[in-house]
Amino acid sequence: MSTRHDIAAPPTEGGAAPGRPAPGTGPTEADRRRRARLSRRWQRDLRWSPYAFVSPFFVLFLAFGLFPLIYTGWASLHQVELTAPTDMTWVGLRNYTRIFDDDFFWNAAKNTLTIGIISTVPQLLMAMGIAHILNYKLRASTFYRVVMLAPYATSIAAASLVFVLLFGRDYGMINWALDQVGIGKVDWQNEKWASQIAVSSIVIWRWTGYNALIYLAAMQAIPQDLYESAALDGASRWQQFLHVTLPSLRPTILFTAVVSTIGASQVFGEPLLFDANKGASGGAEHQFQTLGLYLYEQGWVNQHLGRASAIAWTMFLILIVIGIVNYVISRRLRASS
Amino acid sequence: MTTTLTKPEDAAPPVRKSRKPRAARAGGHMHGGPIAYAILILFSIGSLFPLVWTAIAASRDNNRLAQTPPPFWFGSNLFHNLDVAWTDANLGEAFVNTTFVAGVSAVTIVFLSTIAGFAFAKLRFRGRGALMLLVIGTMMVPPQLSVIPLYMMVAKLDWTDQLQAVIFPSLVSAFGVFFMRQYLIQALPDELIEAARMDGASSWRVVWHIVFPAARPAMAVLGMLMFVQTWNDFLWPFLVLTQTGNPTVQVAVAGLGRGYTPDQSLIMAGALLGTLPLLLVFAIFGKQIVGGIMQGAVKG
Amino acid sequence: MRAFTRTARRAVVLAAVASLGAGLLAGCADDSGDSDSDGSSSGGGKGKTTVTLGLFGTFGFKEAGLYTEYEKLHPNIKIAENVVERNENYYPALLNHLTTNSGLQDVQAVEVGNIAEIVSTQAGKLTDLSKVSGVNKSNWLPWKWEQATAKDGQTVGLGTDIGPMAVCYRKDLFQQAGLPTDRNEVAKLWAGDWNKLVTAGETYKKKAPKGTTFWDSPGGLINAILSSEEKKFYDESGNVIYKTNPAVRSAFNLTAKAAQEGLVGAQTQFQPTWDQTIANTKFAAMACPPWMLGYIKGKSKPDAAGKWDVAVAPKSGNWGGSFLTVPKSAKHAKEAQELVAWLTAPAQQAKLFAVQGSFPSAPSTYTMSEVTSAKNDMTGDTPIGEIFGAAAKQIPVQVIGPKDQIIQQGLTDNGVILVTKGKSPEEAWKTATKTIDNNLDK
Repeated sequence: MSTRHDIAAPPTEGGAAPGRPAPGTGPTEADRRRRARLSRRWQRDLRWSPYAFVSPFFVLFLAFGLFPLIYTGWASLHQVELTAPTDMTWVGLRNYTRIFDDDFFWNAAKNTLTIGIISTVPQLLMAMGIAHILNYKLRASTFYRVVMLAPYATSIAAASLVFVLLFGRDYGMINWALDQVGIGKVDWQNEKWASQIAVSSIVIWRWTGYNALIYLAAMQAIPQDLYESAALDGASRWQQFLHVTLPSLRPTILFTAVVSTIGASQVFGEPLLFDANKGASGGAEHQFQTLGLYLYEQGWVNQHLGRASAIAWTMFLILIVIGIVNYVISRRLRASS
Repeated sequence: MTTTLTKPEDAAPPVRKSRKPRAARAGGHMHGGPIAYAILILFSIGSLFPLVWTAIAASRDNNRLAQTPPPFWFGSNLFHNLDVAWTDANLGEAFVNTTFVAGVSAVTIVFLSTIAGFAFAKLRFRGRGALMLLVIGTMMVPPQLSVIPLYMMVAKLDWTDQLQAVIFPSLVSAFGVFFMRQYLIQALPDELIEAARMDGASSWRVVWHIVFPAARPAMAVLGMLMFVQTWNDFLWPFLVLTQTGNPTVQVAVAGLGRGYTPDQSLIMAGALLGTLPLLLVFAIFGKQIVGGIMQGAVKG
Repeated sequence: MRAFTRTARRAVVLAAVASLGAGLLAGCADDSGDSDSDGSSSGGGKGKTTVTLGLFGTFGFKEAGLYTEYEKLHPNIKIAENVVERNENYYPALLNHLTTNSGLQDVQAVEVGNIAEIVSTQAGKLTDLSKVSGVNKSNWLPWKWEQATAKDGQTVGLGTDIGPMAVCYRKDLFQQAGLPTDRNEVAKLWAGDWNKLVTAGETYKKKAPKGTTFWDSPGGLINAILSSEEKKFYDESGNVIYKTNPAVRSAFNLTAKAAQEGLVGAQTQFQPTWDQTIANTKFAAMACPPWMLGYIKGKSKPDAAGKWDVAVAPKSGNWGGSFLTVPKSAKHAKEAQELVAWLTAPAQQAKLFAVQGSFPSAPSTYTMSEVTSAKNDMTGDTPIGEIFGAAAKQIPVQVIGPKDQIIQQGLTDNGVILVTKGKSPEEAWKTATKTIDNNLDK
């Protein structure tokens, strides 16, 4: 995350005044005053414009993001139900301490991790490959870009509806195909790994094109001359990809990794709708219940806002810990290389 | 990542010249071979098949959908079901509302995210690191719970059934800020800003003449993503809007197929109608949105 | 190209700035536009009052033409409805709206699975409908009235439909398996005792047509048994007793036994694969309220018409049905109450049954021709109105509780279904109770 952020130092007294180099003529008193005034304005601009640029986001955040956060934090220390969300009974840290021996939470945490890995890693690798191909000169490239975004444009509900049918145990198309090649039928909804793979496949389907598009946008910004000089050095296409494309994309890769990790930690729509008739339990034995789904179940189905809030904050804290560990490791790696 | 701080060749580039950033460039450096096309076509089939199947399902009736094997080709009810869904869900009004909501959200998010992303990527200021962490932190909060307290706010403001109840909360897009920051770190060469500063450009002029041009591809992508996301959002609009009170498309189709025996094909028709406009817009304006902007920067 | 991008860029930025303002303006514009469009200003132009209903999927008042009729009777009233197909989406939103007193329609529907919770937690937000003119307690089955009445006597909701349960069975499959096909003889096989129904299943299995099971699913069986009990998950004072109530345990064990013996399909109800077992005739019988006949019809191939019949269940029970409530903060509470009273009156319930198949909760309708002459495509000449009407009167006054749905879901989807996947009944019970206890624990 520590890239260079150098910007040009502000021009000093002798530096170019805005659009007025005025060489040769000696500065008059009026000129000097004017320049001083401009310089003050310059300083103010440099100093305060960053805050002006980031302030709209934070103003909106204060208005619409902060209260929910505070409420959730406060609710996590109480026993409070959806039927009366302002009626709170103080329970201290009980909602957090009970998580330690809440088997359902840890089961969901494990599932979140495995589903997260199964869905994110292939997704990002495929997205990178597709983006690389789309970066070639192609006929009908706009067509592929539109097609790529089509799954993302599909709502989770519509997507899950179709995938449930495709993954049907007795009559689904996928089992039909597996049967044809002699593998036999898989009980996609009830077997642990099968169900996790099926849920992940919905995630992969919806998000691969999206990530590819993000990579593509970043690839388009890589200066052509970098490739040209690499080609002059005799680098193959693959070497160019490794030594030009990937390093240039580092910030974007980091971005997609962070966003996908956060997204994976919050996955809940797909597992919810993958077996919608079993409520939010994520399968009969909770075999594909994720933390996001467990949170949803506690908050919306079981209506325990206090417990659900504590789960939300615990997820939040776990993510932060992961983030810090990640940061430390990548720092070490960078330092050693 | 290997940009240097040496001044660019043309020592005093007039600001307007920097409108042709060398960073934003060509769509491709090599021609795609047959393998590339093969992969793309496979990928396209995979992407489209579930959608096509949605259309097939929408073209059938309820008991055909429950039979096996599932239908592989279109039945005769497609236009009938689309028509019923359209009328029943009052989709005309819903499309206008959703286009407005998604459009305003997308454009505003893109604009705000670009300037904030630029500040985080390229400007130095006190508290930058901490503020950026705060931005990322806000993404980590699971949204399923926030809607409950958020709804309390909207109720207090008396915004129920009004479109701003959907628009304003959607503008808090930490994702957009983060996205733009990461993009601009890579795509915006420091010496361009430096040169403009040398030329005495104010921060605002830098944003206008250098950052926006350099950020165009990412702005286009972010805009599309945000448009689609707002378009498809369900949980929140569903709480604040109703079918008689400024519904978005997702709210409008939530009532389709009702009855003790939900009419699957009608639900599918609604899902299709909800997605189709997005695909059409991309298909028609895709070139302008993505292709045009990317290629235009080079040819210009 | 260059020119295009330059203007495009400017346009984007301008649009961004403009739209920020536009968003604000639109917000204000919507304010005024709203009251216009829904004509809620009763004193305004035409003087029409719009009464709005918030419903989930199963009502069909509009489809039955009841709104048009009411508007004709009351020329100054306009009716508009908001429908959400799934109650899982509808109900949490309703709670949010009730607790904040905002976003509520003039009439809000409540499903029977949620009515106990609404009565015990939201009664203060709802009006008492027992005092509305034209509402007469004796119009409803007593248990239906009681379900929506709080301890202090406030009736927060008026009953619409109910789901008296019988057994629907395939005559052809029963015949092939050597069971009787006449509905009276079939009923005699298991009269009064769910164990006998399972025994009939064992008989069926001996000569079962290939690939079929006796009953549709474990969930369908345990649900039917539990619905016929006076007490299941709660006692009269509102304590959760599901773990200690012998009736629950024996329903669980009987279902588990049927599952172990392979008498029930390894299915979860209302999943697509379950739908397909209807279409492909993979089971011979199921618990079946009137609305289920509509479901069967919707999922069957056309050639299934007339192949089903309906027999009286071992014990009567109720599955499904709803209530209409009027929130205190409704814009037009008075008009809404009148509308609700009219919609739930026996005459309208009978019309609704004739068009939509929603079985009336008003016993006086059971002798009306709309009910007595009712037929269904799937069951040919069977007088379903009479059978279900008789069943309705046998339904016990059941003690219901706020978390009935969660408990039942746990017993079914985290319980008996596991037995069909090879788990022992003990293990299944353990998983179910562990899940339920966790879900109930505040």
